[in-house]
Amino acid sequence: MKVTLNWLKEFVDISYSPEELGNALTMAGLEVESVEKIARPFNGVVIGHILSCSKHPQADKLHICSVDTGAPEPVMVVCGAPNAAAGIKAPLALPGAELAQGLKVESREIRGISSSGMLCSEAELGLTERSEGLMILDSDAPIGADFASYLGEDDYLFDVNITPNRPDCMSVIGLAREIAAISGKTLKKREIKLQPTPESLHDIIEVEIQDAKRCYRYSGRYLRHIHIQPSPFWMAYRLQNAGIRAINNVVDITNYVMLETGHPLHAFDYRHIAGKKIIVRTAASGESFTTLDSKSYTLDDETLLICDAERAVALAGIMGGLNSEVLEDTENVFLESACFEPTNIRRSSKKLGISTESSKRFERGADPNGTLHAMDRAAQLMCDYAQAEVVGDAIDVNAQAVSPRIIQLSLGRVNSMLGTELSGKEILALLPALEIKCRQEDADKFTLTIPTFRPDLERPIDIIEEIARLYGYDKIPFARRAWLDQSQTINERIVFQDHLRTILAGLGLRETLSLSLVSPAATEPFLPSGAKAVELLNPLSTEWSVFRSSLLISLLQNTAYNRNRQNPVQRFFEIGNAAWMQDDAHIEKKQVVGMIAGEIHQPAWHDKGRAFDFYDIKGILVQLFQACGIKGFQFKPAAEHYWGQENSSVWLNESVCLGAFGRISEPILAAYKIKTRDVFAFQLDFDTLYAHRLQHRVFDPIPRFPSVPFDIALLMDANIPVGDVEAAIWQEGGTYLISVQLFDFYQGEQIPAGKKSVAFSLTFCSRERTLGDDDITPVVTRILSHLHEKYGIELRPR
Amino acid sequence: MSENLQKTLAEIDRIEHQCKTSLAAAAHLQEVEKIKTDYLGRKGSVQNLFALMGRVDADEKPQLGAALNRLKETLQAEIDNRAASFQHQPMAIASFDPSLPARLPAMGSLHPILQVMDEVKQIFTAMGFRIEEGPEIESDYYNFEALNIPAYHPSRDMQDTFYLNGKYVLRTHTSPVQIRTMEKQKPPVRMIAPGKCFRKDTPDATHSPTFHQCEGLCVDRGVSFADLKGVVQSFAQKIFDDKNIRVRFRPSFFPFTEPSAEYDFSCIFCKGKGCRMCKNTGWLEISGAGMVDPAVFGFVDYDPEIYSGYAFGMGLERIAILKYRVNDIRIFFENDIRFLEQF
Repeated sequence: MKVTLNWLKEFVDISYSPEELGNALTMAGLEVESVEKIARPFNGVVIGHILSCSKHPQADKLHICSVDTGAPEPVMVVCGAPNAAAGIKAPLALPGAELAQGLKVESREIRGISSSGMLCSEAELGLTERSEGLMILDSDAPIGADFASYLGEDDYLFDVNITPNRPDCMSVIGLAREIAAISGKTLKKREIKLQPTPESLHDIIEVEIQDAKRCYRYSGRYLRHIHIQPSPFWMAYRLQNAGIRAINNVVDITNYVMLETGHPLHAFDYRHIAGKKIIVRTAASGESFTTLDSKSYTLDDETLLICDAERAVALAGIMGGLNSEVLEDTENVFLESACFEPTNIRRSSKKLGISTESSKRFERGADPNGTLHAMDRAAQLMCDYAQAEVVGDAIDVNAQAVSPRIIQLSLGRVNSMLGTELSGKEILALLPALEIKCRQEDADKFTLTIPTFRPDLERPIDIIEEIARLYGYDKIPFARRAWLDQSQTINERIVFQDHLRTILAGLGLRETLSLSLVSPAATEPFLPSGAKAVELLNPLSTEWSVFRSSLLISLLQNTAYNRNRQNPVQRFFEIGNAAWMQDDAHIEKKQVVGMIAGEIHQPAWHDKGRAFDFYDIKGILVQLFQACGIKGFQFKPAAEHYWGQENSSVWLNESVCLGAFGRISEPILAAYKIKTRDVFAFQLDFDTLYAHRLQHRVFDPIPRFPSVPFDIALLMDANIPVGDVEAAIWQEGGTYLISVQLFDFYQGEQIPAGKKSVAFSLTFCSRERTLGDDDITPVVTRILSHLHEKYGIELRPR
Repeated sequence: MSENLQKTLAEIDRIEHQCKTSLAAAAHLQEVEKIKTDYLGRKGSVQNLFALMGRVDADEKPQLGAALNRLKETLQAEIDNRAASFQHQPMAIASFDPSLPARLPAMGSLHPILQVMDEVKQIFTAMGFRIEEGPEIESDYYNFEALNIPAYHPSRDMQDTFYLNGKYVLRTHTSPVQIRTMEKQKPPVRMIAPGKCFRKDTPDATHSPTFHQCEGLCVDRGVSFADLKGVVQSFAQKIFDDKNIRVRFRPSFFPFTEPSAEYDFSCIFCKGKGCRMCKNTGWLEISGAGMVDPAVFGFVDYDPEIYSGYAFGMGLERIAILKYRVNDIRIFFENDIRFLEQF
């Protein structure tokens, strides 16, 4: 809501400076976004009196004016304005003057006649957009006076951000009321006195509300013998500053009164109201309507319409129709001042995509008891500035009378809610300024009567906010409580997540945080089988139109982004949510994902480096499991096709899969334009990890007796997995076996084709005594014979 | 003198000479140590010569023994001397250059936004708040309705929402976690809900469609607006580690709080004097807060006649931007290593 200081001053005395007023409004909950001095972008302009005006001999549309500027000799000026005439007063820019948009005025010849200045329109002075004629000044304007001084003291424009709960403050009077309440001043109310003709409207207009649910009240007046002309400068200027373009006196008056009172009005050209009848009804489904800006809309059966006896003439509360608009030749007007149900206006405005100054006020809730005041104020202005004649009494169909709300307030409740020690007297000093009537019942109880322009004040808590606001949030103390109560326990799931983050950072991965929105093409390869993407109905762009189906997408994007910028060594992890649709329901899962790509480190003087490989990602994973206390997991091939050939999934048992890891497949890498093949990743399900984490660690005593190492070198078929052999060693290793380490692995010329050589270092230890050869030899023999029987493995001679 | 003895004595001389030559050539202490092991060690040359005692005649043994002992003593003295000559010299390895770059172990890091989130969690955990979570794909009911934001209410315009099919949205704030928590727990409740949120904002220096928020809620008997002010002030002073930070509350409107407020911190850059960062106001706008609206209690079956509570929100990016003086929100989500490695 934009409003000028001078307009506000019509309704309240203001002793603040513009900056202080801005701050005071902000601190009262009416956030002032800006305070600007209103520019008068001209200089060297004086008030001129046109003494004579004759036709230019060489140009039909030009006049030659002799203008009195108070100097001994009048000034000769050539002027193209159609309304230039002898006897009028208008701003005259003298040679050397500067006008809006940098226009410089000089003496010059125009078609052979010398012109020593320029008579100005409002647009040329940068005051309004009206450029069609000279700005005509009041007849008592002092000739030769500086025009800027004539306009009066500087004015300031306030841009106030009105929260959706305050329809009353979308008006000059509403803001003035707030200023009065903050500063302890009184709101100045305007008296309206109309002199209607004593006729009856019976044969002129009739109003019928068919939908009383959506139209609370419909008031109207019939105005006759109107002269459509430009509205006075002060009105056009205030509208202009508020962001509304001046059109003609009748339309401008409806807009002006809307800004002043907060109540939207509409003026119909009476001659286009068929059957002398206004009917308020909902549209038939599919009914079409053309608004006054010449746009056509197809309506649904919840859209409220203002109709005449034959057709719709306005979208109720939103915009008038092209068919009944006030035009240059309008003579008689039917002025509407109605009140509509807010949610319906909001719904229709959203549905049709039309948001107007009118709909913005009705959807927040206009005052049902404000229709008459706004209407009569507009009628009065039409009498004053459009020579209108008010005919008969007002029409007022009050379909749903709304009376002021009564609220019971407890002082104790106020203080306990705010943490204050306010007295009843203080409350009585605050609320009446908001036109809330207060009656104190006893030391604690108040009965309050709430004006109907405050639909937001429904409950005691709403009043408590008003009290806090006017008392000042600043004056409420800062309470410090010591919370000794430990009822709020630690959230283990969060603790575990933070534990994982610390471990992964400790393992050399950098944590990333990515947008969760990706493209449909990016999601597709990572969707579980049978699943669909979670699509947004209203995305910003295709690139961000679906929820990520895997955090691998984010890490691939991060890897590509960094590789494109020659950033060396990509090692990332992220914990976050992925989602997909399964059987029309969405599934949202928290994932733990890591990715390493390219070279293990930059080439260095001590080590030329190498590409990452499968065992690097496996190493990170095994360490992570170790840190979570997850044991006994098994590796199986992974099923998802986004993995390359080197892949694995991790299982805790037949049915519990923790996730998978491996090389990212080449087609996926190609899609992200990642040039290296060496991109490895893991993707784990957070909740499965969480469910199987070790919750309570128990100390495992450290052996006090020395351990005994025993190395075995084995020759075996190349296709036997080492993991199986290791498992077999553990199986036969007895109670003293504490460690099995693969320390050598060889395939090549030194050994027969189709074979590989693996060497394990076994470590034995007892908690009771030092072990000797007698303890170990039989165990090793048993292991070797088991390996031979099961896999045909031989001990490799040294 | 037998031939064997002669040979052995000759070998003794040779070894003595050889050892002296090696010692003279030794460049540093480690080489001397090696020479000592080679000659005088358990398997050293001198020890090997003692093994030859058996080969000589019994009457010649004393002579050989004396010669060997003399050799041992001589070499011991020579070695000690040579070792001593190195004692006070610096390590004289020609190739040692301490300015060579270090071998750097792989270094991980935590994301700056999540580091801020960690700090927020620590501060509120210390004040007795429990950390709660909720889904990012949220129902219209939890994101709006139960927070007293009905359909077709103008306050829905305050947040531009991403819609999914059906009655679901990407949550526009973490406030729905309030509702979920109050549904499963009776007062007293003290919780914070940090997490990812979504709004349909075209990305620019101050907007991102994905951002992070931390919502706080406290409900008990006798909880007041003064308590809210106190807790927010405590938080402000801890997160920016400055006891002098002031907190300002301004009236505002949110459908789920009444009274509602916007809260500002005194500018951490100019200490409230006015600067470019605070647009010369001396205040930094942080976020919104207020007393839980009784209508919200209605949705979770708390009696507003018995309980009251406060709620507050905060944008983690906003705090991170202020803390780290980042000038563009988008950089947080680019995950450029050159950015990540700074934290």
